[in-house]
Amino acid sequence: MTSADQVARLLALVPYLQQHPDADVRVTAALFNTTPRQLVADLKVLWYCGLPGGLPGDLIEIDMDAVELHGRIRLSNAGFLARPVRFTLDEAMSLAVALRALLELGDSGLKTAVQSALVKLEAVIGTEARVGVRLAGGEDETRDALAAALARGVAVRLDYHGPSRGVATRPLVDPERIVVRDGYAYLDAWSHERGAWRSFRLDRIVAVTPTDRPVSDHGAPPSPAGGWLDHRQDAVEVTLELAPEARWVTEYHPIRSAVIKPDGVVSVTLLVADPAWLRRLLLRLGPAVLRVEPPAAAASAAEVAREALDLYES
Amino acid sequence: MSARKSERIMNLTICLLMARRFLPRESIREAVEGYHGLSDAAFERTFERDKEELRAMGVPIETGSDSVLFPDEVGYRIRRADFELPPLEFSAGETVALGLASTVWDQARVADDMVRAVAKLRAAGVEPDADRAAHLAPSLAAHEAAFELLWQATNSRTRVRFTYKGVERVVEPWFLANRRGAWYLLAFDTTRSDRRLYKVARVEGEATVVGEAQAYAVPEIDLEAAFAALEARPADLWAVVAIADGRAPDLRRRAEPIDGVAPAGRSLFRLPYSEERDPVGELAAHGADVLVLEPAALRAAVARHLRGVVGLEAS
Repeated sequence: MTSADQVARLLALVPYLQQHPDADVRVTAALFNTTPRQLVADLKVLWYCGLPGGLPGDLIEIDMDAVELHGRIRLSNAGFLARPVRFTLDEAMSLAVALRALLELGDSGLKTAVQSALVKLEAVIGTEARVGVRLAGGEDETRDALAAALARGVAVRLDYHGPSRGVATRPLVDPERIVVRDGYAYLDAWSHERGAWRSFRLDRIVAVTPTDRPVSDHGAPPSPAGGWLDHRQDAVEVTLELAPEARWVTEYHPIRSAVIKPDGVVSVTLLVADPAWLRRLLLRLGPAVLRVEPPAAAASAAEVAREALDLYES
Repeated sequence: MSARKSERIMNLTICLLMARRFLPRESIREAVEGYHGLSDAAFERTFERDKEELRAMGVPIETGSDSVLFPDEVGYRIRRADFELPPLEFSAGETVALGLASTVWDQARVADDMVRAVAKLRAAGVEPDADRAAHLAPSLAAHEAAFELLWQATNSRTRVRFTYKGVERVVEPWFLANRRGAWYLLAFDTTRSDRRLYKVARVEGEATVVGEAQAYAVPEIDLEAAFAALEARPADLWAVVAIADGRAPDLRRRAEPIDGVAPAGRSLFRLPYSEERDPVGELAAHGADVLVLEPAALRAAVARHLRGVVGLEAS
């Protein structure tokens, strides 16, 4: 941490502590994304700050006994720093863009709140965000129906056009939460048929039919953080050699590593948890795949291709 | 980090904020204890650095003179109206939206900006509250190496130099957009005098800033039109395909059923496609579920593609 980080925090801390008399050290530290130890160090700096002159009555007053004995913060004599500093451009933009990202994720109630918050915020910033976000969040009706089911705590039946098997399914699920991974919104839900957690891409949900079955407790779904393939214990490593025109694979799929050779050929290592997913990827890339290691990983794709070729050549 | 330095910068801020007029350097040196005991040169150096740090934090330090007789004798002050965040009132629903927004960024540098922005909101008496929307976990990532620099450059209107498709260019960033998880930059290429769209992941090597911030104006842009290239192209061609019953719902949704004699267990569909978004891979990915009947060139291309996949097993 630099001194600039500390000063930026102190300038917000002083008005915050005047707004929140008798604040708790731990709670305050968590809100300012720092440790209780660091927060106490911050307070000790503030103890020497105040009006020019440096006489006792000029300095910010903090009850250090209350801090050290009871973990409470009582700060006074700081009326000259009653409000936080204006947002920097980057701060304002981080907030405005994050709000925009919610527009295509929430239900209509949240959407209205996001829009009005944005208007107020942009009036203070004085400029419009020059960053835009568009998520694949599916239809408004889908999100409204899911939000209602989540609020009521009931199971829903989905009409789902899944990616891997090429067929429509109608799973009965207990909805748990809506998450975003790499620009796509997903519903994490407990599948009654599978007896396991499943993720459903919102833009592939065609219809949501609520039921009256209350959801049951299935524990926590797997962590949404980062590349989900990394978390699968049963994943296998597959290396693909791709022609230069298939380089986009490295941009759209979670990959372990990618090496670009002098002739433009890319060697990509992927973790594959779902054989159907790899089969589809290979079928889609076709001749742009130069080599698969281990070769057996291509067996299922080759079989599907052979079966299809029979139709074309008969 | 040094506690003495933080203390000095805080006291400088309060001193300039309380000043009724522009304070000359000597008065500041006297008033702020942290500057005591420094040589002239050391004071000048330290004071300049402190000012820079405060300005980078968004603290507006004004330079000027109150003296009509000696307008060259400059002093410094912070005008309270420019310094303080104006009053903000948010409804309960809006604070939930702000709370949720505060969890969105999954990019270290921007997430830090976000933490500071939210701290300021809290200090202004706003309480962002994400708990009431616990079933929503939004996230906005930026894995692209050049993102951080382009984010700052776009916000601050600073020119940037980078290599793209093997050509080095200097561009004026206008707008950053995220579409389906990938970042794109709309910018004016000064090398070619042309407005262009760049995929941030394809920026080669390191991007660097060129010159000062606020260096150019961004014209009124029709963003929808500018980014239309990233959306699905309108179809200009039609294929006739035979889809196995109950299969390939994604294609069925885009296609319209047509009459005609189909192979057993299949139905005929007219499927729109465009040459620019090569349809061969997508059709082949459905394997035997989708059989292309027309046009002959597309049918031949899909068969050729499938032969390539059969060959993989022997690789």
